[in-house]
Amino acid sequence: MAAGMKKKTFLAPLGKDNPVFVQILGICSTLAVTNKLENTMVMVLGVMFTIALSSWTLSLVRKWIPSRIRMMVETMVIATYVIIVDISLKAFYPEMWKQLGPYVGLIITNCIVMGRVEAFALQNKPTLSLIDGLASGMGYGYVLLSIAFVRELLGTGSLWGFKILGSWWTNWSIMVMPPGGFFMLAIFIWIVHESFLKKGKEEEHA
Amino acid sequence: MKTQNFYMRRIHPLVFMAVVTIICILLTASLHLSTFDRVKNNEQFFLRRSILDAAAIEHDGQPGTVATLYQDSVTETNGVYQVKGSDGTMRYVSQLTGPGLWGPITIMVGFAEDHKTLTGVSIVSQNETPGLGARIEEPWFTRQFVGKQGPFRRVEEGTADSPEEMDGITGATRTSESFKNIMNRAITESATKSGGQ
Amino acid sequence: MPDMLFPVAVFFAAIFTDNILLTNYLGMCSFLSVSKELETSAGLGIAVTFVLAVTTALNWVVYHLVLVPFELEYLRFIVFIIIIAAFVQLIEMVIERYSEGLYFALGIFLPLITVNCAILGASLFMIIRDYSFITSFFFGLGSGIGWFIAIMAMAGIRQRLKNAKIPPGLDGAGIALVIAGFMAMAFMGFSGMIQIS
Repeated sequence: MAAGMKKKTFLAPLGKDNPVFVQILGICSTLAVTNKLENTMVMVLGVMFTIALSSWTLSLVRKWIPSRIRMMVETMVIATYVIIVDISLKAFYPEMWKQLGPYVGLIITNCIVMGRVEAFALQNKPTLSLIDGLASGMGYGYVLLSIAFVRELLGTGSLWGFKILGSWWTNWSIMVMPPGGFFMLAIFIWIVHESFLKKGKEEEHA
Repeated sequence: MKTQNFYMRRIHPLVFMAVVTIICILLTASLHLSTFDRVKNNEQFFLRRSILDAAAIEHDGQPGTVATLYQDSVTETNGVYQVKGSDGTMRYVSQLTGPGLWGPITIMVGFAEDHKTLTGVSIVSQNETPGLGARIEEPWFTRQFVGKQGPFRRVEEGTADSPEEMDGITGATRTSESFKNIMNRAITESATKSGGQ
Repeated sequence: MPDMLFPVAVFFAAIFTDNILLTNYLGMCSFLSVSKELETSAGLGIAVTFVLAVTTALNWVVYHLVLVPFELEYLRFIVFIIIIAAFVQLIEMVIERYSEGLYFALGIFLPLITVNCAILGASLFMIIRDYSFITSFFFGLGSGIGWFIAIMAMAGIRQRLKNAKIPPGLDGAGIALVIAGFMAMAFMGFSGMIQIS
């Protein structure tokens, strides 16, 4: 029973409850760095770390949180984890830290983090919240990584900084520029809505 | 019962918030202090590496080698780093800051013994748009100045074919333009300095 | 360029060429969910502009007068978000007390603003880019106006699209993102307007 619950909690955000496709949440902080796969990976890991651990922490203390200052406490805990990410990057991966600039700090206002805490962690046990946080982070992560994959490949002909496409390839510069991010996300949402979300609806009707 | 309510309504939130705040600040402060030296070392490493890069001194990017190479070949006088190359010639590297699109761009510019020919350019800090203006950090961009004397004129990305032309970055016209201005300033300053000597 | 003009240049750059929403994707969540109606968009846009301008200036003061002297820069995320939350709360209380009409027009948007990435984003950008107080204020104001223009344009277009035939999978957020993409391209066209040199 408990194991089944955990599995379900883990799988839901990867598929039909994916925070990006269904609710279009939390893209602000990361979409800007999706023109490079490496940057996106680091940001996604940072977001996963923050969601999972802040869900876990807040779920641990959920019974003692006074409801009136709930938001303040949540913000405080989330901000602390984000600062931990920021300081660790600065100390151990400084080149990445310089490239990401202010975007690490913006994880605080990533709606998914606050959203998962409010919707899940405050009603569930710590372990389950940790799993939900991790899964939401992954569901969010694979969408952005796929966007970054396409953008870097088409925009610069390389992946993870290595040239993949030969000299015959003309860089599709618009992909690494801001409009590219909007178009790619729109195309992804379109594909997903047309395919498996529609299928889900049919199943519901059947 | 009534005191309980008063406690829960007024005091508990304050106590709780205070405890959370203290824990959070202790956590971040200890992490900050424990990584403090590392961060300082990183900063020094970046600065030294950019000096070596601007002087076209080969290195493998490891902190150890950069430190030894720096101690062996660099001496600083009045803000100018004099770097002795492996072939015995001197290179003169100086730091220069100019306005970028968003904030200051700080670069290291290296000149050969004639104070005219560029040996290299490296970026110390910049805040340009990631993926657009921030591409000034990419090797193809900084390497294009090596061996040239300028002053430069900006052209479209990938079209520079004469020594006075500088490849701009598509979508980051103003960053490229600012960078060109900083480069040209570096060239005039170097020429006047050497003229005065 | 004379330093006097720098804040003005940053102001216009933040509105047009480097619109915080269209080039940095900040404030997307509320942008996508609220931009269905012109009137509500205007309300949210005005609230965002006001809060952005004031909190950017406020955060500048706190950062440079409190955090930097005490070497607490690493706490800036917590401090900024709390200042923003507290300021929004304060505004909500003031508006509620003194202007019922304004409260009904703007009140519902205020809680949305605390988690609007654009607000925190502007404060973080201003620190990283090392702006002066005046420049920070103009940057915050410009970013807000830029956000306002973007959401108004989006709401206008979306109202026109109500009767259009859109592929079902693209309806809603999908088409909004496509429009935002075109708007981003259009705004890039402002590039030549401001020259920082």
